[in-house]
Amino acid sequence: MRPDKRNTNDIRVTHTALGQLHRADGSGRYQFGDSSVLCGIYGPAAIGLRDEKLDRAVIEVSFSAAHGKSTTRERLHERLLRSTFETAILSALHPRTGIRITCQTLCDDGAVLATSINATMLALMDAGIPLRSVITAVSCMVDKEGEVFLDPTALELKEAQSTHTFAFDNVSGGVVSCESTGVFTEEEYESCYDICKQGSDAIERFLRHALQKKLEKQSGLDFGKS
Amino acid sequence: MSPTAMQDDDHPQLVLPGDRILYDPSSQKIKIGPGLQQEDTLLIGTKLGVLHKAAGNRWWIDSNQRRYIPATNENILGIVTHRISEGYRVDIGAAQPATLDQFAFEGATKRNKPNLEVGTLVYAKVTVANKDMEPEIECLNQSTKKADGYGEIKGGHLFRVSLAMARSLLDPSSPLLKLLSQSFPFEIAVGMNGRIWINAAQTIQVITAANILQKADGKPVDKVEKLIRAELKQMKERMDVT
Repeated sequence: MRPDKRNTNDIRVTHTALGQLHRADGSGRYQFGDSSVLCGIYGPAAIGLRDEKLDRAVIEVSFSAAHGKSTTRERLHERLLRSTFETAILSALHPRTGIRITCQTLCDDGAVLATSINATMLALMDAGIPLRSVITAVSCMVDKEGEVFLDPTALELKEAQSTHTFAFDNVSGGVVSCESTGVFTEEEYESCYDICKQGSDAIERFLRHALQKKLEKQSGLDFGKS
Repeated sequence: MSPTAMQDDDHPQLVLPGDRILYDPSSQKIKIGPGLQQEDTLLIGTKLGVLHKAAGNRWWIDSNQRRYIPATNENILGIVTHRISEGYRVDIGAAQPATLDQFAFEGATKRNKPNLEVGTLVYAKVTVANKDMEPEIECLNQSTKKADGYGEIKGGHLFRVSLAMARSLLDPSSPLLKLLSQSFPFEIAVGMNGRIWINAAQTIQVITAANILQKADGKPVDKVEKLIRAELKQMKERMDVT
């Protein structure tokens, strides 16, 4: 039994919010339990001649931890976020511009990378940036006995032998990016993939439902059942 | 594979990026608008929004955003940021600034052309909107060669709303401006780039109108009426005091 009485393949309670930042072109907040990330999108905007690309938009990411100085861990998150969303954004539609993604961790209780990928996805949709697919991410960990836990908290991560974060795209159903740390076997990796795939499918259904509710409230339209 | 959605006539349809939308390819040509791409017999959504279909087999996704993407023939409000040799550089809220030619005004000639200061607000029409080029705008109705309301705007107050709000204000059936105009007369210019200019006889009326339009942004119509009544009541109270 896990400390918060979840099953091994349960994600924490999720919460989403769109458009909370007034000065940004789009913003989104995503929460896995107590882990919370706020993401703002600025762009497509003009960037300097030196940085712009003639055939596509340049994607810049900045990621900040909940507190403390930014370290190599934050740089790694930035790189992963950029490579994940460079494949998803139809950047050829906005050549010679820059799209800036700014993620701020509000509270870190494990699985921050997955939380920030989901927050960025929401913010990109809020900003109306053209996208190929919806990307959803979830983390899991393997403990010393080889048992796999989906969406671990910071407390659980202390017992982790290895941790894995997978991001899936909803069109192909495949992995678009993954990050693993620790020691693990091939079988463990595959069971992590399976459990994360199920988790991310659940998150995609949740996002669709949440966005439908939000648009219904905003426009007064009735979409029927989702 | 994401769910393949069919157009359902009973309910408006929510589209997320990557959603596949089936249409009947044997019927006539279709025209796709913002937020859609075509792949064989499928339409693919690229934005979050509501799927719309109108006469002439036109399909598009109605979405809300804050950043303006220029499109030809759209009326916009811009601010002059630079004077250049052949005209003006104008900020229209898009990624690149737009160019406004010095001859793109009513009756402008080599000898007689308008002299706009940096910071001037102009109401203009987008003539060139290509993703690879800088946008171009003009303050002239090409069919009549008259200003027809385009050009420099003086006085009043400028503020920003979301692009969906600006579009809804331009809809003749929109109840918001009708309701507002019943209480006091005002002048308004709505730019498709989400900029709104408003002017009225008294400053408090301008403030009230701007507050109403900004607060109504993102609210359904039934809630807006209540909001307008509350704001107008507050305005009357303040006017009685002064």
